[in-house]
Amino acid sequence: MRKSGIAVWETLDIPERRSAHWRFPLRSIWVERIDTEWHVFSQAEERHVSDASFTLVSRSRKPVSSRWRHYLQRDSGAIQPSPVLPDRPVVMRPDRALTLLPGQSTVFFLEIPVWFRLSTTGTRPTRIFEEPLAVLTRTWFGDPVTGELCWGLATRLHHALDSVSASADRAVCPLMIENDSEIDLEFQKICIHVENLSVFRGRGHLWTNSLHAVFRGPDQVTQIEIVHTPPGFEEHLVPVSEAREPSTGWNIRRTFGVLKYFTDF
Amino acid sequence: MFFQQVYNWIRTLSPDVLTRGLRVALTLVIGLLIIRLLAVVVQRYLMKKSTLQRRMVVRKIISYSGFVLVAMAVLAELGVKLTALLGAAGIIGIAVGFASQTSVSNIISGLFLISEKPFAIGDVIRIGGTTGIIQSIDLLSIKIRTFDNLFVRIPNEKILSSDVTNITRFPIRRMDIVLQVDYGQDLGRVHDTLAVIARENPWSLDEPEPLILFNEFKESGIEMLFGLWFAKDDFLSLKNSIMKDISHRFAAERIRFAHPRRTVRTIVRDGLHS
Repeated sequence: MRKSGIAVWETLDIPERRSAHWRFPLRSIWVERIDTEWHVFSQAEERHVSDASFTLVSRSRKPVSSRWRHYLQRDSGAIQPSPVLPDRPVVMRPDRALTLLPGQSTVFFLEIPVWFRLSTTGTRPTRIFEEPLAVLTRTWFGDPVTGELCWGLATRLHHALDSVSASADRAVCPLMIENDSEIDLEFQKICIHVENLSVFRGRGHLWTNSLHAVFRGPDQVTQIEIVHTPPGFEEHLVPVSEAREPSTGWNIRRTFGVLKYFTDF
Repeated sequence: MFFQQVYNWIRTLSPDVLTRGLRVALTLVIGLLIIRLLAVVVQRYLMKKSTLQRRMVVRKIISYSGFVLVAMAVLAELGVKLTALLGAAGIIGIAVGFASQTSVSNIISGLFLISEKPFAIGDVIRIGGTTGIIQSIDLLSIKIRTFDNLFVRIPNEKILSSDVTNITRFPIRRMDIVLQVDYGQDLGRVHDTLAVIARENPWSLDEPEPLILFNEFKESGIEMLFGLWFAKDDFLSLKNSIMKDISHRFAAERIRFAHPRRTVRTIVRDGLHS
């Protein structure tokens, strides 16, 4: 049994004497069921693979290590792997500094690495474990007293969806920005509060909720609004994981870094 | 046998004494219960969002004033005239006040500390040579637990007159590591190596950027300051890992640490060493 791409996130049953093996570009995860325990092993992928894959392998082929983790749970049955967004805001450093001129608007497609969450299915789904599929740096956003601890990520700002390659370990976040002010909107960093976003599964991409921001000037409080319906860039999107902290949006002051007008940053 | 003796003794008491004793006991029990209940209700429901320190202060105010009130009620029940007692207490108070100037000074210092809030329960502070976690802030002293699990009581008066460093007040800190590299090293390569070490360490924040500063020409080498920002809870993880990272990476890059040395030159003149 082998699956690849987005299909690795489908529900499955692990037969007896078999281990489930998910292989992502930067991480490999093995899961098996023995008696009343889930046994889980995870390690950084040494040979980078371009796409995600899933296989059921014989137990004899599982890695031998003392770092297998054991989770006790009596109920067996199908399990659900889900892509979830990181547990802290993600500060994205675009590959180039960008200035949005007054009166202009644009859409960016941001790629956010997802975490792997494994849950049981049934009437009372239980989370077994979750962990990041990519190593993100730790970073601080804001001033040293009132800022917040975030994950840091260097990324490319995609203006068109065509340039975003299909991936099972990254979710695409559409960010619409309008500069409705009289001044240039400069930013070198974008802080996305991913803990407020859900994940949807499409045919080739994972998606998050769309974000919409209207910048009206440094003196005006501007909200980043979360569009709660699935993004309209792909049809038949299926919700796969809910936001860790559901919200309607957040303040733009907590979003853009190095705005020369926001002296408190 | 014992209970029989107690019963016989009670029977010898007059009904008036018995009633009074019962009322005193009831006043004590009900009074103490009310104090306890009041403290719990105020802490759990009315001050749910307050800091731990504020809740502790309020609990102590409720307890102490409650005990005084209960004691006064008991004394009144026993027929002690409170006006005379308060008068005597005033005189005694003056005498005790003179005798306990240090305690009064500590109490006033405690009030200043509570209003100024330089630290709160759970903060890690350094006073003089003592570093530890604050366990309680009281009117007379603060109690801290050091990292080697010692209990230290520091009088408030001393705190007010000392330099206090609150290590965990802000969410991020900088760890400064002073290094000395040998004079023969390529400083550009040393700088780049330190930048890579900071970037690859999982506990070091990439923003604010690490500080790499060539500090001074010392006797044995060039002194550098390597400052890494980290979230305050990650101190130990960063400290341990960064030392190993520096050591490994410097060895791999063949960057030599400076160590004290003396160069002795021997000049040979006419077959003689000088």
